[in-house]
Amino acid sequence: MSNFILRKTEPKDVSDILRLIKELAKFEEMEEQVVLTEKELLEDGFGDHPFYHCVVAEVPQEKQSSDGYTVIGFAMYYFTYDPWIGKLLYLEDFYVMEQFRGYGIGSDIPKLLSETAVKTRCSSMHFIVAEWNKTSIEFYKRRGASDLSDEEGWRLYAIEKEDPLKISAKKR
Amino acid sequence: MFNRWEDLCNVISLRPLLPAVGLPTPVLPTWCLILYFLDIFHNMDFSIRPATLEDCKDIARMLLELAEYEKVLDQIKVTQKDLEQDGFIKNPFFHGIVAEVPEEHRSKEGHTKVGYALYFYSYSSWKGRAVYMEDLYVMPEFRGKGIGKALMSKVAQLGLAAGCSLLNFSVLDWNKPSLDFYLSQGCSDITADMGYHCMRCEGDELEKLAQGGT
Repeated sequence: MSNFILRKTEPKDVSDILRLIKELAKFEEMEEQVVLTEKELLEDGFGDHPFYHCVVAEVPQEKQSSDGYTVIGFAMYYFTYDPWIGKLLYLEDFYVMEQFRGYGIGSDIPKLLSETAVKTRCSSMHFIVAEWNKTSIEFYKRRGASDLSDEEGWRLYAIEKEDPLKISAKKR
Repeated sequence: MFNRWEDLCNVISLRPLLPAVGLPTPVLPTWCLILYFLDIFHNMDFSIRPATLEDCKDIARMLLELAEYEKVLDQIKVTQKDLEQDGFIKNPFFHGIVAEVPEEHRSKEGHTKVGYALYFYSYSSWKGRAVYMEDLYVMPEFRGKGIGKALMSKVAQLGLAAGCSLLNFSVLDWNKPSLDFYLSQGCSDITADMGYHCMRCEGDELEKLAQGGT
């Protein structure tokens, strides 16, 4: 399938982006963790200070998915900073619908992002992969990625804001 | 001990800090302002404030101290000038806060800026707005006074004010004092709990990938 395009997302794409985010989360068996809404994606991605950037892969109408979708892949990224080496591009999510794999879309997306990283003078592209996702780890290592958790001992930590409903329930 | 993000934030006015990060200043109730002043009296021995251009010299100094502690001094490429250019433009790549002590409590070498945190806003495709704490450092002779906790608390407050529901950061697996500190604050080790590994593609490999090489 050579006739797909990669383009920057527009406001009209938010429902497709959320659909693809949920599909990827389902693959990671974490679908219930997705609480992001279309409204938040719209507010956060298209203002004066967007929190994220996104590219989508789109196929022509005649090649649409079995469910009728033409937006069949996406990558969400943003710019971060390492005070040791400067600007970085952080790849938050990257996904191509199963039906459209094996056509080079999955190779073109990281290529586009690394071009973006180089153009914007980022010295590195960072991302997270689950250690059980051997296919993805091999995919990225073939493209020159290194595993910082294994090689340098970095561990990712998080603290989350508790659900306000849970807090108000506890107070009763 | 902080069991929830709201506990971690404490109840401190965000008013002085919000303009520094380009966010609209909310209208705060009187009780919040009273607690803000009470908090000033509680923390008379140090103060936390937004970093300014003039602070970049001290941030660069402390950054090198942190890099030396993490045994990666040879990897530092960023200079004081880079920090000034990247952190103090219209759309900065990072934000900073600084911990300062009065003159009479200055360090052995005469420094009054004794700690800092660097952070930026990120995004979770599951939860939306997030804040990433890139660096947190307190000079060794000023540890044990609550400065680290106060710096982290301030980053959490600023994140909360910006609508973030997640605070992320990374720790080296051999850094036991830091690991213990963060776990005591109620943080979770995502690498251990969910098996998430941090990956990087940089330098020549990044260029090769951009050119379509595999």
